[in-house]
Amino acid sequence: MYVKFPDGAAKHTDPAAAAEVLYDAVIVGGGISGAIIASRLSDAGKRVLILEAGPAEDLTLRGYESYLDRFYSATSKDNQAPYPDAANAPMPRGTDARRILPGAPDASAYIVQSGPFATDTTYTRVLGGTTMHWEAKTLRMLPEDFQMRSLYGEGSDWPLTYEDLAPYYNEAEREIGVSADVADQAYLGITFDEGYVFPMRGLPLSYLDRMVADDLDGMPVELDGEKRELRVRPFPQGRNGIPNPHYDGGKGYVPRGAVSTYQVEVGGRCQGNNNCVPICPVQAKYNANKTLAVALQSGRVDLVAQAVAYRVHVDERTHRVTEIEYRRYDRPGSPGFTTMRARGRLFILAANAVENPRLMLASGLRSASGLMGRNFMDHAYLLAWALLPEVAGTFRGTNCTGGITDLRGGRFRRRQAAFSVDIHNDGWGWARGAPMTDLIDLVDAGGRYGESLRQGLVDRVSRQLQLAFMVEVPANPSNRITVDPAYTDDLGNMRPILTYDIPDYTMRGVAYARQLSKRIFARLGAEDHTEYDPNFWGYAGYGGEGYEIRGGNHLAGTHMMGRDPSTSVVDADQRCWDHENLYLVGGGSMPTVSTSNVTLTVAALCLRSVRAMLAQLDHETAQIDITTDGAAQSQLQEVAQ
Amino acid sequence: MTASTIENRDDLISYLHAAMALEHATIPTYLTAYYSLRSTTNSDAAHIIRVTAVEEMLHLTLVANVLNAIGGTPDLTSPGFVPSYPAYLPDGEDDFTVDLRPFSPEAVETFCKIERPGKAPTTSARLVRTSDHGRPLLVSSPTVEGMRFYSIGEFYAEIIDGLEQVAADDPGLFRGNRARQVGPEYFYSGGGVVIPVSDLESAQRALRFIADQGEGLDSGIYDGGGELAHYYRFQQLQLGRYYQVGDRPDAPSGPPLSIAWDDVYQVKVSARLADYPVGSELAGAARQFNADYGEFLALLTRAFSGQPCLLQDAVAYMFRLRDGFNRLVRNPLPGSDGRHAAPTFEIPTAVESDPDAIRTADDIAHAVTR
Repeated sequence: MYVKFPDGAAKHTDPAAAAEVLYDAVIVGGGISGAIIASRLSDAGKRVLILEAGPAEDLTLRGYESYLDRFYSATSKDNQAPYPDAANAPMPRGTDARRILPGAPDASAYIVQSGPFATDTTYTRVLGGTTMHWEAKTLRMLPEDFQMRSLYGEGSDWPLTYEDLAPYYNEAEREIGVSADVADQAYLGITFDEGYVFPMRGLPLSYLDRMVADDLDGMPVELDGEKRELRVRPFPQGRNGIPNPHYDGGKGYVPRGAVSTYQVEVGGRCQGNNNCVPICPVQAKYNANKTLAVALQSGRVDLVAQAVAYRVHVDERTHRVTEIEYRRYDRPGSPGFTTMRARGRLFILAANAVENPRLMLASGLRSASGLMGRNFMDHAYLLAWALLPEVAGTFRGTNCTGGITDLRGGRFRRRQAAFSVDIHNDGWGWARGAPMTDLIDLVDAGGRYGESLRQGLVDRVSRQLQLAFMVEVPANPSNRITVDPAYTDDLGNMRPILTYDIPDYTMRGVAYARQLSKRIFARLGAEDHTEYDPNFWGYAGYGGEGYEIRGGNHLAGTHMMGRDPSTSVVDADQRCWDHENLYLVGGGSMPTVSTSNVTLTVAALCLRSVRAMLAQLDHETAQIDITTDGAAQSQLQEVAQ
Repeated sequence: MTASTIENRDDLISYLHAAMALEHATIPTYLTAYYSLRSTTNSDAAHIIRVTAVEEMLHLTLVANVLNAIGGTPDLTSPGFVPSYPAYLPDGEDDFTVDLRPFSPEAVETFCKIERPGKAPTTSARLVRTSDHGRPLLVSSPTVEGMRFYSIGEFYAEIIDGLEQVAADDPGLFRGNRARQVGPEYFYSGGGVVIPVSDLESAQRALRFIADQGEGLDSGIYDGGGELAHYYRFQQLQLGRYYQVGDRPDAPSGPPLSIAWDDVYQVKVSARLADYPVGSELAGAARQFNADYGEFLALLTRAFSGQPCLLQDAVAYMFRLRDGFNRLVRNPLPGSDGRHAAPTFEIPTAVESDPDAIRTADDIAHAVTR
């Protein structure tokens, strides 16, 4: 069934009128965190305002197809290719990454990178956020991921356990619509409730996965004295598959298809297109607009787009947040804007792990712990690529259907980083730009055309195997987001400055991953073509070898949760220790990024936080005067000057 | 009160064969209009036609399930299963033919007529006498010569009533092998699910769903699942506006939709192989399409005969048919005033040399009767 976007909901909220409303909650960011919280708070009868930095029209299938047209006609097929960039709310792009020379920060793109390590980290600033371009892998974290410090002396412990989060994982899997089979996903301590099934059955492994599995399954590996056997395992996916009739005690599950203001019937099931990233052609892949549209249907959620939060205002006496001052730009590409304010009982920053601390720091709110913006994490991806001895149907199926997850956990994490391994159905696309680069080479260097070109292309790409090792990066306070008035965007917002280095712990995992890839290729009889370019922007040396390291856009850690206000920014409910009516939500709350893509965990954390928000709202009865406020007035004047 | 035209299981089987032919007959019509649209424009029109075509495929599957449930044997390869276009469909009046047309106001008019609500004034008026127009009929009564149904909805109403009567006399009516049922895992669209059929209740539910989704049995514009009936979907193209929940018939109040009537490959209406230059590459592509379509129907026949998992392979076949369409519709057909080529859906029979190979839809009526 399609998801109805209420006619006019993108535009009907007048920001001036909204400024006179005391909302139960003001949410900054219309991505998955903001959408989930808005939907659940509005379900409970609460009134919510969402501020979205990107432009927004009513969501229709036609509008979505304009993203597709952009993507089809774009020269670069990077993960922002379908999404128009608004100069007033700029997006980092993978193609921005440059090698950083010592002492010379790269300020050429939106994120200022001061290094020493450069990253191609991106996020998407449109309605729906980065779930528009995500791949939709929905791995749960391992129980041990929540106790890294206690178990392995590395990283941090969570104030939550796997068991605490498990019910919210269930709920997140419903909200996203996850396709997986419990039998495939119960490993390394991951447990499920008795009788639990995923909303939809597992998506099948690709032909390539099965070819790899034929030779790889059972491969013995010994690490830190622990023996294990590798196998190719299907990934859980936030993409519509075959509904499981046993779901929800036999009630079944109805997949949510495309979002539109009018009735449409697409997206009910994945069709196996090969460009989940950057955009699913049919919306079979979950995006947060499916949740947002439902929230807007309640009539209790207002949405103001083209609204970039500028400052979080705090009452000096009570430390409560009084308002969010935002700049509402008139048009995406021109400088005119109006300063507006939003008032609520609760404030929820759901921008992401870069934008949340950026806004807090730009507001002078550094957290008493001093940790605001610190402990930035992402995954460090190491790619290894080879040619299989026979045609393996590469480029069939979605981007990624299976991989190796046996080294996500274990005692070896005392010494080196764990990883999960993706088998990429899009061949050497990520590493070397296949199939476009193959095409160009065949034409330019090979002089091929016609039938011979077609056959040549098939011969080359359909044997390609690329393994992507998603290596964990532990929290390190030196890896951080900061701001500096010297670096601002067109709207006058301070841009994020990223200081980032890959710790040795991760590099030991990277080095091990490369060795393992050689063994895997040898076992498969594959011809290893991996070669790391010393001029690559993300080139990193370790132990006398060099590696190309890429980012995963799995942002975490910058407002870490904990039990102690002196060593964390938010509590287990993602509530700010310093400001009792402020929640910082999303990946930034995660103390470890471990070896799962973060979105499912982010969704689970937000679902859990909603309980605390509702409990707090039940007790928030204080009168808040929103018509005359000296602080807000003086701010307005200040901006006008 | 006219006596039922369905007296026994054999009659039911005849009717269900006819129903399969009927459900299939509209698909080439919808596909021709769909593939005549240029792929990057006319999003609204494309999605509306696509949904209907996909749901006709669901209906075909549902009828196959009912037929299998009573021990019949679906066969999409029998001569004449695919009608010779243009063909008549009865809808209460003999006022239109079903053609293979490019997307156009005329095509949409035809779609509306195919799907229009049509409830006979009384049960006894369900069957009407066929007029003598010399054209094959698709929803003629397979058991009473010279009679046809007031509308597709009435045709299904007759089968639904007939099932009940025959089941009352024949407790073993639902004797089909359960393994031949296609389950819900094989159809994905918001527009309904495949209902496996094992008894009278599920059989009637499956057929009611078909009638409901097409024209609406009770003249409501939405069906029980919140789906807009096909007739009203197409009417949106005529009225330039989407329906939304709460609307009354003929007065949609949802968002406007836009149509570029000219941004279409103007294919020749109901082209025949005889229109193609003999020996041309284009004629070869047209023949290839027909052969591919014939193979596709043979695959569906196997899928409906105990191998439902073959429906997954059918996806690749359908992509091949799409490519076949595109090869034809992008090329002008020589000698046709600039009109473009299009598939002719003249399916080669397995026994090409058979002197009786000239098949018409008249034959199928006889073929399915006994």
